[in-house]
Amino acid sequence: MNKRTEKIRELASNLLKDGKVDMVIGFNQGTTPMATNPDIARSPEQAEKFIWDNNCSINLANYLADRKEKIGIIAKGCDTRNIVNHIVENKISRDQLHIIGVPCTGMIDKVKIASEFDDEIIEYNEDTGSDSDSGNNFSVKTASETKELLKKDYLKANCSTCMHRNPVIYDELAADLVEEPVIEDQFADVRAIEEMDSKDKWNYFDDLLKDCIRCYACRNACPLCFCPTCFVDESDPQWVGKGQNDIDIRTFHFLRAYHCAGRCTDCGACVEACPMDINVRAFTRKLVKDSFEIYGWEAGLDTEKRPPLDTFNPNDPDEFIK
Amino acid sequence: MKVIKIDKKEWDKGIDKSREKYQLFGPVKSKNNHIFKKLENDQPLDMEYKDSVLSPKSVLFPQTEKILETTLDESKDDHHIMKRADTDYSPRAVIGISPCDAKAVQLVKLNFDTKDYRDPYWCDAYEATTFIGLAVNRPSIYDFSPSAGSGPFAEEGLDVLLVDCGNEYLAKVLTDKGEAFLGAAGFTRKEDAKHAETIITKMKKEAEDAIVSTISTDKLKDKEILDLHGAPFWDDLAFSCINCGTCTYVCPTCWCFDIQDETKGNMSIRIRNWDTCMSPLFTMHGSGHNPRAEKTQRVRQRFMHKLKYFVDKYDQGTMCIGCGRCVKHCPVNIDIREVCNTMNSYEPKSENEI
Amino acid sequence: MGNLLEHMGIEKERLHFSWVSSAEATKFVEVAKKVTAAVRSIEPNDKLVKKLD
Repeated sequence: MNKRTEKIRELASNLLKDGKVDMVIGFNQGTTPMATNPDIARSPEQAEKFIWDNNCSINLANYLADRKEKIGIIAKGCDTRNIVNHIVENKISRDQLHIIGVPCTGMIDKVKIASEFDDEIIEYNEDTGSDSDSGNNFSVKTASETKELLKKDYLKANCSTCMHRNPVIYDELAADLVEEPVIEDQFADVRAIEEMDSKDKWNYFDDLLKDCIRCYACRNACPLCFCPTCFVDESDPQWVGKGQNDIDIRTFHFLRAYHCAGRCTDCGACVEACPMDINVRAFTRKLVKDSFEIYGWEAGLDTEKRPPLDTFNPNDPDEFIK
Repeated sequence: MKVIKIDKKEWDKGIDKSREKYQLFGPVKSKNNHIFKKLENDQPLDMEYKDSVLSPKSVLFPQTEKILETTLDESKDDHHIMKRADTDYSPRAVIGISPCDAKAVQLVKLNFDTKDYRDPYWCDAYEATTFIGLAVNRPSIYDFSPSAGSGPFAEEGLDVLLVDCGNEYLAKVLTDKGEAFLGAAGFTRKEDAKHAETIITKMKKEAEDAIVSTISTDKLKDKEILDLHGAPFWDDLAFSCINCGTCTYVCPTCWCFDIQDETKGNMSIRIRNWDTCMSPLFTMHGSGHNPRAEKTQRVRQRFMHKLKYFVDKYDQGTMCIGCGRCVKHCPVNIDIREVCNTMNSYEPKSENEI
Repeated sequence: MGNLLEHMGIEKERLHFSWVSSAEATKFVEVAKKVTAAVRSIEPNDKLVKKLD
């Protein structure tokens, strides 16, 4: 068991023992390899089941919106930025929360790891690594082979461009703060698409979306998507068709990205949730880049500031308007 | 019992020959996963597939299916008349379907083909289809089909069971439809039935022994619905659910749908789309009342349907056939095996204890 | 944020933004002419046009 797991269990149990919160939200061990299950603990005994490993990619801030209780929450860097977003957008108030921040060293990409093997993965283990406290190495086993892999080679795409590993807001920390990396060009992936001509861009997104089954796992896993009735479910008027028409699928994804403009923290929960392994971040990345380069804005860093699409400043760049 | 031996070197040729008489559907690789699709003209199917993220139910029940169409164009003879869409129901063959998915088709048939009502779209597709199953020699860790009423070598719902023996397939002929397909493909080399049976039985046992994951369903029928419905474990179990539709869409037995009309200019079509009871709006009434507005109610509904209501109504075991797709793909790892075992072992507190 | 449409493959000649007051009729005519010319300079649009199945 690594140190983060131990500390999280300790802090969560204490919160419940002292009655400071009604419940704590964290991750339990999953029933299948490389799976974790978000769960709530209402008693110190239940808090002893929490774990922390390289597979805690779901964003727990998703479970906070509109709750009324006092809640303890285990949050990594990007999750805390979403908590700030929730506070700014009035979905939860700061004094309801006791945030156990976890300085994060990144999560791993299950799809990339699975592609290294011919057979299906039957076991995943972080404890065997020499550096088990940070999960920097881990072993993956199939029926025919076992491989020792390094985390740095299998980081999720959003983790490899992450500039906010440490929680931006917290009441307690589950580990020492980690060094924030310096990323040379965090938007290289977006630039690669920008450089294509219109036809190639269209085809790129067509190809990306051809497997989409409109399950809405991406939308539902996203902490920002909390509209009581999502625009795709609206029927009076019906904005978007509900079938498997290519245009409707594309409209859903791009409009959803629009609704997240200036709010997306690139936590990657959408990609994690997608059963068809679609890189859902491809839609929102462009807006994250634009927010940053045009407005100098990164979502979820300050509870006092409102996002750029919420505010008007006479200095807002507007060369696109003639 | 008849068994045909098919040398793998002859496989592609035979499949191509069968295209003359059948539309073929089979597993095709799409990025990192396999899905069941209608094969384009020369497209080969991938018989080495381990599992498909989406089940073959889309062969009979496409995710979006046009069922009716109308035109207002008065130059056409049938203008202003809503007519059935022109779907191609010429003979089809689904190749490589796993035994548990084939059993799922039989369970879905209980719903679409009843004495009171026959769903024409599903049933016409079903009657046109020949199911050529592929036994699962090396079951996945997510497979728990034996304890869910099926198994890696089960035959229910199949017209032919193919067993992969390395250099050849042994094709056990189960119905006349199956025999017709094999004939059309030119696979006619008979194998000694007894000899084949011995091989198949041995491989079947190996596969079944390899499956260690089980669910307990023996007590489900005897439980009282209201006891299970009012049980205290649903709240915490449902907490992590994000109400996406993943479990529904990957499940081979989920059959719920939504009907939509779409119009453009003079044309109007009525389409049937998959729908999921996990969606908050699934049970929204026209009045505005929603009986399953809370997440817990929807999660409870899913498992009660699969593991209790279906058991009671049809007396054919659970609606879950143990393919494990929902377990593998649920973003928050809600595991139907755990839920089933919880439900099966649940004893309500007696009146005296409360 | 009109950039997102361009990002997905809609040519930038198709979408234009302009502040025009109802009192600025001359400007309105000029803008309309410019936009029409820009859109005409590229092929007719066939993207984001939904076809019924």
